[in-house]
Amino acid sequence: MHEKKKSPFSPRFTTASLALIPAAIGINFVGKLVVSLLKLPLWMDSIGTILASMLAGPWIGAIAGAVNNVIYGFQDPISIPYALTSVAMGVTVGVMAHYGWTKSFWRVIVLALVMCVISTIVSVPINIIFWEGMTGNVWGDAAYGIILAKTHSVLLASTIDSLIIGIPDSIASVIIAWGLFKALPKNLLQLYKTNTDVEEF
Amino acid sequence: MKSLSLYVERDSFIHRVDPITKLFYIFAAIIVPFVMKDLTVSIVCAAVSLILLAVGKVLRNAITVFACLFLIMITIFLIQALANINNATVVFSISGIHFYAEGMINGVKIIMRMTDMVAAFLILILTTKPSDLVEDLIRAGFSPRIGYVIMSIFQIVPHMAGAIDVITDAQRARGVETKGSLPVRIKAFLPLLGPVVLNSFMNTKERAMALEVRAFDAKNKKSFLNEAVNFRHAMAYRVLFVLLAVSAVAWRAGGVLL
Repeated sequence: MHEKKKSPFSPRFTTASLALIPAAIGINFVGKLVVSLLKLPLWMDSIGTILASMLAGPWIGAIAGAVNNVIYGFQDPISIPYALTSVAMGVTVGVMAHYGWTKSFWRVIVLALVMCVISTIVSVPINIIFWEGMTGNVWGDAAYGIILAKTHSVLLASTIDSLIIGIPDSIASVIIAWGLFKALPKNLLQLYKTNTDVEEF
Repeated sequence: MKSLSLYVERDSFIHRVDPITKLFYIFAAIIVPFVMKDLTVSIVCAAVSLILLAVGKVLRNAITVFACLFLIMITIFLIQALANINNATVVFSISGIHFYAEGMINGVKIIMRMTDMVAAFLILILTTKPSDLVEDLIRAGFSPRIGYVIMSIFQIVPHMAGAIDVITDAQRARGVETKGSLPVRIKAFLPLLGPVVLNSFMNTKERAMALEVRAFDAKNKKSFLNEAVNFRHAMAYRVLFVLLAVSAVAWRAGGVLL
C-alpha cells in the first residue's frame, strides 16, 4: 500500500515534528552560546536548523529557519532579513537528506558545500540591498574592502566576503549536526519518519 | 534564568499601541528609506524611530543594543570611505590612505538606515510582550500551532541555556578542558553541546505526547487566555503607514519614469 518514495515536500506537520522546532532553535542558540564560551572563531548558529531538516524534512527545516531568525530578531533585529537564508538552508538540507546525502561522511561534506553555495546565493542580494554587500564580519569585510578597491565589483566582493566565513562555518555546522543525528536513539528518529513500512493509524 | 525577550514593562503611549500596528510601522520604517535612497530621508526616519523609542521610555534599553552594533557601523563607514565605487573626491588623507567624500556620505546613509531599521524593530521588541504579539497574530489568522511553537521557544531556550551552565560545570569536573589552545577548545565543543541536544530531544518527545493528550491537534476554534489589546484609531495609523510606504514607492517609480 505504501509508496516507495514520497516527495521530499510531502508535509509532515505531526505534533512531534512541530515540537522539534523549538528544540532546533534552542540548539541553534546553545550552539552559539558554546562557541562564545569556548571563544571559537566561527558562528555555528544553525546546527539545530540543519539537524531538524535532516530529521523532519524541508518544511520543518524551513519553518525552524524562519522562526529562528525572527526570534533572534528579538535580540538583534539585523538577523530578520536573513530569515530567507535560513529558510533556504533548511530546504536544501531537508531535500538532500531525503535523497540520501547523509549516508556517508563525504556525502555530508558535499551537502555542506551545496548548502553554503545556496545560502550565499540568497544572502548576497540581502547584503547588497541592506549594507552594500558587507557582512559585518571583520575578516570578511576586510576581504570585501580589498576586492572592491581592486575590481570595483560589489557583487564579486560581497560573494567572497560571504564565502570566506561561510565555507568553514557550513562544513563545521553540518558535520556536528550529522554527528548528533547519528548519535540520536533510533526510536526517536522513528518519530519523524513518515515514509516507513509501518502504517500510521 | 535570563529571558530571551527584551520586553521592558513601562507605562507609555507606545506600550498601549497594539502589536499589529507596530508591525505596520516597521514595514513603513524599512520601506521608506530603502526605497527613497536619500540621505535626508534616512536621517529623518532614524530620528522619528528614535523619538518613538524615547516616547516609549525605552531609549536607554535601546542604546545597549546599539552599542553592540557600533563596531559594525564603524567598519561599514571605513570601508565605504576607503573603497566605494563612486569615490572621486578626496577629503583628507592619513599616511597615504585616502578618505573619499562620496563613500563617507554613503557610509552615513547606510548607518542611518541601519539605525532606523533597528530602532523600528526595537519599538516592537522593547514595548511588546512576545506572547501578546503571537496572540494578536493568531487573532488575525496566523496558524495557532505555529503560534504555540513560537511561544514555547521563549520558555525552552532559557531553559536550555541554563542546562549548558550545568553541563559545563559537570564536564569540567570530569576533566574536560574548556580553556587553552584552539584544538583543545574545539575538542570541548561536542562534550558540552551533545548532552544538551540529546536531552532536548528526549524532552521533545515527551512534550509532543503531552500536547497530543491535551488535544493539540483538535480542529475546533481556539480560545484565548488574554483579552485583545484595544487601541483606538489603530486602523487610521495602519492606513497612514501603508500610505507612507506606497507613496515612497510611487515617488521612486515616478523618478525612474520621468
